[in-house]
Amino acid sequence: MNKIVAMAAKDIHILFRDKLGFFFTVFFPLMMAIFFGAMFAGLSRGPANIPIALVDQDRTSASERFIERLGQASGLAVEQIPREEALEQVRRGRTAVLVTLTPGFGAALDNPFVTTPEVEMTVDPTQFAVAGMVRGVLLEAAGAELQDLMSDPARLGAANSQNSLFFESLPPSSARDDMLTFLDLSPRVSSLIDEMGLGAATGGNQGFFGPPLEIEQTEVQAERPGPTNSYATSFAQAMLWTLIGGSVSFSMSIAIERSRGTLMRLLVAPVTARHLLAAKGLACLGATLFTSSALITLGITVFDVRPTSYPLLVLALLCGSICFCGIMMALSVIGGTEQAAAGIGWGLSLPLSMLGGGMVPLFLMPEWMQRLANISPMKWTLMAYEGAIWRGFTLNEMLLPCAVLVAIGVIAFTLGARRLRWDTG
Amino acid sequence: MLVFDHVSKSFGDLRAVDDLSFEVEAGEVFGLLGPNGAGKTTAINMAVGLLEPDEGVVRFADEAFDRNPRDAENRRSLGLAPQSIALYEQIGGADNLRFFGRLHGLRGSDLEERVVACLDFADLTDVEKKVVSKYSGGMKRRLNLAVAIIHDPELVLLDEPTVGVDPQSRNAIFERVEQLRDAGKQVVYTTHYMEEAQRLCDRVAIIDRGRLMALDTVPALIGAHGGPGNLVVRTGEGESRHETTDPLGTLAELQARQAVDHFQYLPPDLETVFLNLTGRALRD
Repeated sequence: MNKIVAMAAKDIHILFRDKLGFFFTVFFPLMMAIFFGAMFAGLSRGPANIPIALVDQDRTSASERFIERLGQASGLAVEQIPREEALEQVRRGRTAVLVTLTPGFGAALDNPFVTTPEVEMTVDPTQFAVAGMVRGVLLEAAGAELQDLMSDPARLGAANSQNSLFFESLPPSSARDDMLTFLDLSPRVSSLIDEMGLGAATGGNQGFFGPPLEIEQTEVQAERPGPTNSYATSFAQAMLWTLIGGSVSFSMSIAIERSRGTLMRLLVAPVTARHLLAAKGLACLGATLFTSSALITLGITVFDVRPTSYPLLVLALLCGSICFCGIMMALSVIGGTEQAAAGIGWGLSLPLSMLGGGMVPLFLMPEWMQRLANISPMKWTLMAYEGAIWRGFTLNEMLLPCAVLVAIGVIAFTLGARRLRWDTG
Repeated sequence: MLVFDHVSKSFGDLRAVDDLSFEVEAGEVFGLLGPNGAGKTTAINMAVGLLEPDEGVVRFADEAFDRNPRDAENRRSLGLAPQSIALYEQIGGADNLRFFGRLHGLRGSDLEERVVACLDFADLTDVEKKVVSKYSGGMKRRLNLAVAIIHDPELVLLDEPTVGVDPQSRNAIFERVEQLRDAGKQVVYTTHYMEEAQRLCDRVAIIDRGRLMALDTVPALIGAHGGPGNLVVRTGEGESRHETTDPLGTLAELQARQAVDHFQYLPPDLETVFLNLTGRALRD
């Protein structure tokens, strides 16, 4: 037993002397715990951080009341902006959902017994999950409105008076008389409406006995270019992972060259360190460009992915590869050995991918994490890829993610190259 | 000719090389010996241009001009076989030679001629396409050496080229080094094996703590620093060892006292010189 304890103590001692091992044993899991804890803490506070754009075309006191209720009770981050701007935000992925309160919404909200209030919901097709959450919040708000109406005699009376006027305007019939008699929301209302054929007359809208809110959902591509299918988004993510894998592999290759002595042999050859670094960068650029291009080619030819702009796709591919070549160089000098390079490479890539939306959609994260995601090259890479594949970015829109990617690549490559030269020379 | 002219190099407080001067002539195998941490690797790194001296000059001197190995173009004149097997193990031996040949500017038929010559030099022609990872340790060592001379350099630096190989491969490497000398190359040879240096090196520099302790031919070093030899005799009373510079005289004296059944004279060698100059204390 003493021998086992002694050996175990030795291993623990060695582990804690090994800074890299200590990092992956203690700090990395801690980082993961903090990341997911922060993310799910954001979720547990409800969907307050889900940004939705809202357009009020009704502009009545009822619609304003509904918007206020959405903002207070539902916890959505509601931003009222012009419809065109809102559509643009959805298309660019900045907002998951656009809710439009169409004309007549307020009147229906105040008197839902005949006509159910309707809203239009335009969604980013990659964010169906959040669309479902928003749908639930809208129904909840409409249900609360109905409950308020039923418990407010003044408003209910006003609605009944309005309904009485409506039914009185109909041709005399026993059914109309009954309706007028039982307008106090009797369960018979529904069957009487059916008997009079008013269900068909109102377009199948069942009024009070239907759902408290009708939601007409459309996807953004109905008006703008969008993904032809789900592969359009999944291939963008796959291309991102190709870049990550390529950069980690190349960073390992430099570490392997160093540990096996071939790096020394290369530096002794009649080439400058600058040539050597350029060759490494070029190889990484070529490999990542080739693999990501091959992936999207497969997506286009086999999976019916239809990029909205091929020139911008080429630009996005190039900028993504430049970025990850720089990252490769930085990783290669951080990790002195191939094991260290691989460990650090994946250890950094995974949390940055999570932070950048490579695994979990950004909208599910707390706002501070979404802001923090700007430091993740993965976020900008995905934005550039999706911009060219299905978001229909213009050249101007593409400039920001591409500029960020190139800047990250150049800075990382420069820092890595300077450190590599020092390291070997 | 490789010239170290009062060269010093420090890393922080550590004086790795301290006022080191020597020259390596064409057609010479120059041994660079020293205990661990003596400064051999720092000296090699300065010779190949990876490090710049703090003081002094390292240069390739010829009749026309002096060339600094820090200048990448001048490195065409040198070849390095690192102590580690610095090869790409996923590709074949010939492809390794081709790759490094291209780096040194060889192209077309010139390159192919050199590849064939180097494969023959390393006795690897039959396995030229086999991936290096499948080679034996000795084959890798020979290829490691062959890659260093793919571009036919004037100066070849061999950093412990026989580590971890069997006697046959070691002997083969010795023969290759002798071929290089016969071809007029300058060969700098570092090793911990004194018998290798004694066999191969025309001159030997022994350095310790960065300083040059002695530099001369092996016989001259032994004469100057080897001290007396040892006469080992066995008599009826057992075996005894006697330090002497006159083995015949000492043997005669011993025989005069008692019958000697067996004797053996152990002259001083390079290892004796090395230990006398660098001490017997362990170096970590």
